[in-house]
Amino acid sequence: MKMSWERFQIALFEKAPEAVLTHLLIVVITVALAILISVPLGVLLTRPRYRKFGVVALNILNILNAIPGMAVIALALPILGLGIKPAVVALLFQSLLPIVRNTIAGLLEVSADVKEAAAGMGMNQRQILLEVEMPLAMPIILSGIRTSTVYVVSVGTLAALIGAGGLGNMIIGGLALFMPEYLIVGAGLGAIMSIFFDRALSYLEYKITPPGVRAN
Amino acid sequence: MIELKNVTKQYPGQPHPAVDSLTLTVPEGEICVLVGPSGCGKSTTLRMINRMIEPSAGSITINGQSVMNNDPDHLRMGIGYVIQQIGLLPHRTIAENIAIVPRLYKWPKEKIVRRVDELLVMMGLDPEKTRSKYPSQLSGGQMQRVGVARAMAVDPPIMLMDEPFGAVDPIARTHLQDEFLRLQKEIRKTIVFVTHDINEAIKMGDKIAIFGEGKLVQFGTPEEVLTNPANEFVENFIGYDRIVKKLFLYQVQEAYRPAVCRLRPEEIGNALSKMLAEKAEVAFVLNEADKPCGYLTREELEQEETARDADGLQKLAARRSKAFVQTTTPLPDALSVMLEYDAEYVGVLKNGLLEGVMSFKDIRRHVYRREGE
Repeated sequence: MKMSWERFQIALFEKAPEAVLTHLLIVVITVALAILISVPLGVLLTRPRYRKFGVVALNILNILNAIPGMAVIALALPILGLGIKPAVVALLFQSLLPIVRNTIAGLLEVSADVKEAAAGMGMNQRQILLEVEMPLAMPIILSGIRTSTVYVVSVGTLAALIGAGGLGNMIIGGLALFMPEYLIVGAGLGAIMSIFFDRALSYLEYKITPPGVRAN
Repeated sequence: MIELKNVTKQYPGQPHPAVDSLTLTVPEGEICVLVGPSGCGKSTTLRMINRMIEPSAGSITINGQSVMNNDPDHLRMGIGYVIQQIGLLPHRTIAENIAIVPRLYKWPKEKIVRRVDELLVMMGLDPEKTRSKYPSQLSGGQMQRVGVARAMAVDPPIMLMDEPFGAVDPIARTHLQDEFLRLQKEIRKTIVFVTHDINEAIKMGDKIAIFGEGKLVQFGTPEEVLTNPANEFVENFIGYDRIVKKLFLYQVQEAYRPAVCRLRPEEIGNALSKMLAEKAEVAFVLNEADKPCGYLTREELEQEETARDADGLQKLAARRSKAFVQTTTPLPDALSVMLEYDAEYVGVLKNGLLEGVMSFKDIRRHVYRREGE
């Protein structure tokens, strides 16, 4: 198999931009939806009234997470058809768990003394959640979001199988047509995207950790 | 004034109530200490006052208003609350921590800033240095101070303090207790104070409520409780050193004698004859500025044949140059001075001048007299 510089350039400058944009779109939409669902779910499952459902919910999410990404994508095809929408739904299933789990863990880790003092000063439940619990749990929640994001970037390449496009298109196309240039560009950009999200969210995690709490 | 009437807290599934039909009145402007072994219901009682725990039965009123008539969050905003673990918000600066309740009351910003600085100064912290620090940057004692400052932020008439000085070392604790008592003389809050330490209760309380197994066993001033323990439980809780503990209730000014024999520098040679003339057992040697610099006892002058010259007597007296206490010194400290100098007497000072004398016998008599009442 011979590599050509010309084909490499085409892959990188003509095919890649669209693939990257589509991939980003899938990642951003999936993660945004995952946050919107998981964080409130995690909050709910730590409230005294719903705490008893916590174990059940985590078990369901654990099972969902145990299904291989490939299988979820494949199962999505007959049910949801082709395109970005079914890809997002399929990826969403598996991106929920890390965020829910970390939201619960983060909220449970907030010291009971701090919550007791806050309540004792007359802060209501909403104020305690928003001003005390969430800020203190935020670094842990963000770390769950980071895990999810990196996961969606990598498994998102499989979304090409159900016609969602993205970097998976270049990888799968490259394999099918014996064009290693496409393969390298697609996989390489995927890796860079993963690393980028990982680093960026790590930085955000650090930035958002209150100075008084930062372990230095 | 806080009034508890037949207050009971029964947890489901527990054989005995945590608090059993408790009736207690905390008068305005006083510190009432709830004290007892762990699990006796003292903290539960405290936490029912601001409805952190809801009573199962009975009524709790603050200045005649039932706490149940008020929304719990609103009720708590008006009551200072200090807990042993302090519970400062670790992600907020000290200033922000103190400002929590003022912010809940929607005070204007400038007023909050002013009040925060005022409270930091009141608690002996430097606003410039402390204001923008985070709790993790403070020592335990400083955090406790911030905890108290935060509870006093909106100047609530009532404070609930659950082992507020429990988490610091004994030296810092004594210091915090002294400062708080000094502050309380000015601010005159109505305070319910929980501790398991009888010594702290004796020191801090205008009234002491001794709890045992959810019941109020004895209620009274520290002196009443120490003089007449209600039963064996109280006696055991106070300990064998009941009378020694009682000493902490008294200051030198209650026990000393103002009549005192003074020796001017030139009179030191005929100390003995002056003492005999004044029928004094002890004579204080003054310096040129009328400041006392030691004392001589008649006993040692009658025995000591060798050191009769003025110089020798001066030296003998100077050995007790530090055997002096203030009128406000607690009796145990005065006793400690006596033991330290192997002396029967201490000189009593007021504003640096000799005010009187106190002997070991005076302490004994005072305590005995107070036992009889």
